[in-house]
Amino acid sequence: MTLSAFRQDLRVLFLTFEITLKMIAVDSFVLFGILIQPLIIAVLAIWMLTPKDPTQAIFVVIGSGMTGLWSTLLFIGGNSITRERWTGTLESLVAQPTPLSYVIFGKNLASVLQSLLSMLASYALAALLFDLELRIVQPLPFAVSIVLTVFSFVCFGLILAPVFLLNPAVQQWQNAMEFPVYILAGFLFPIALLPGWTTPFSYLLAPYWAARALHATANGSATPQELALSWGMMALFGTLYLVFSRYLLRVILRKARADATLGLE
Amino acid sequence: MLRTLRINARLFLEGALLSYVALFRWLRPMTYLASKIMMPLASILFFTYLGTYATSAGNASFYVIGNAIQIASVSGIYGVTMSIGGDRWEGTLVYLFGTPANRLAMFVGRAFFHVLDGILGVLIGLGWGVFLLGLDLSQTDFPALLITILATTFSTSGLGLLLGCVSLVSLDTMFVNNLAYFALLIFSGANIPVTTLPGWMAAISWAMPLTRGIAASRGLIAGESLATVAPLIVGEVAVGAVYILLGYVLFRWFEFQARRRGTLEAF
Repeated sequence: MTLSAFRQDLRVLFLTFEITLKMIAVDSFVLFGILIQPLIIAVLAIWMLTPKDPTQAIFVVIGSGMTGLWSTLLFIGGNSITRERWTGTLESLVAQPTPLSYVIFGKNLASVLQSLLSMLASYALAALLFDLELRIVQPLPFAVSIVLTVFSFVCFGLILAPVFLLNPAVQQWQNAMEFPVYILAGFLFPIALLPGWTTPFSYLLAPYWAARALHATANGSATPQELALSWGMMALFGTLYLVFSRYLLRVILRKARADATLGLE
Repeated sequence: MLRTLRINARLFLEGALLSYVALFRWLRPMTYLASKIMMPLASILFFTYLGTYATSAGNASFYVIGNAIQIASVSGIYGVTMSIGGDRWEGTLVYLFGTPANRLAMFVGRAFFHVLDGILGVLIGLGWGVFLLGLDLSQTDFPALLITILATTFSTSGLGLLLGCVSLVSLDTMFVNNLAYFALLIFSGANIPVTTLPGWMAAISWAMPLTRGIAASRGLIAGESLATVAPLIVGEVAVGAVYILLGYVLFRWFEFQARRRGTLEAF
């Protein structure tokens, strides 16, 4: 690939990012997932967790914000190709010279970055409405954890989108996939509460490592070893998702061209 | 008179069945399994683990019962709303309003199968609670619990009928549905005891469906008698009836306005 072609692909990525940002900013379904649902979960969790231990407030803020990240990725990122099929624009996207993965990456980046608002909204809710003291004890590692969280979530979305497109039966499970990740990733309670056999499933999820890094850096318990492990796992899973998504997209495009079913449900 | 009754009964039952079948026309066992069995299970597990983490493992039954009964609102809110709103989206509303059919039978019929479906959903939820989370039903008066579940699915379907009418005039149906469903998670007492809520929030709780049904179910599972929880069950039915009445008034108002303004199919 030449430098000029790469620059053009990046331009497509950022344009997709910009357009998606504008589109989802006025979509009430998305706004519910990004703002309202995490806020309701935050209210519930604050009510349930903080009377026993007020220091849990920052844990709740981060955990409920992460529920917003996951829900947005699942419903918006997961449908990023299927939505193009519904609107009849998938053929045009596939026919243009930029690989489809750049387009999906741009779309997922927009939805994941926008859903970080859920964390800010939960923060404001806990601080202003519930008058709870909130402090990020290790701000710099926390910022690095956020960057890696965004990267790993966006790459996870690159897997979801083609899987949902390839197999509509999996997409029927979309609603049922929301809470299991909240549980397995330990967004709002430690996975130690769960039966031991579920732990390997948690370890396979980038959101688990993201939650682990963000919770630990927020409450100041993150040791260098802990950070290296969580960051390393997020980077590893993000890269693996990226590589595997390229394979999945190739399969989809080959299959769609061979069967002439690109625009068909 | 008898003929009119017969026609209305037929309209009620056929309308109820067809709207349910039409709503789930895409339904395959796998879809039902995902949305009506696994999703509620995941929700029960999440809130029960959150609740026991917040309090203690001994309180698991509080959260299991609350969130199992809360499943009634999945059918009540989403199912009923989509049955009512579906007529608008599928373009059949204009034909319905063109018929001389009894509007009350037609309107209430939309909720009938969702009440039955909701009962099944709650029973499955309680079953998950018994098998996975150790819910103890040994003290339970089962017929009384069934009556309570029926009353609760009736009242949540009443809320669904009201929200369904909102979907006839709004494009943000799913936003409204999601808001109502998640608001119930806070206000219904499924996860936060109503007694711990501030006065204004407790007042909202008692004005919503589910709250009394959840309280009555907890009482019955703890060994209380039907007579003890009867006021809660009667209250739950009354709340449902008020929502149905409000929904019906809104439905007729919408029909009147749509005819007057010629906006029956406007989006």
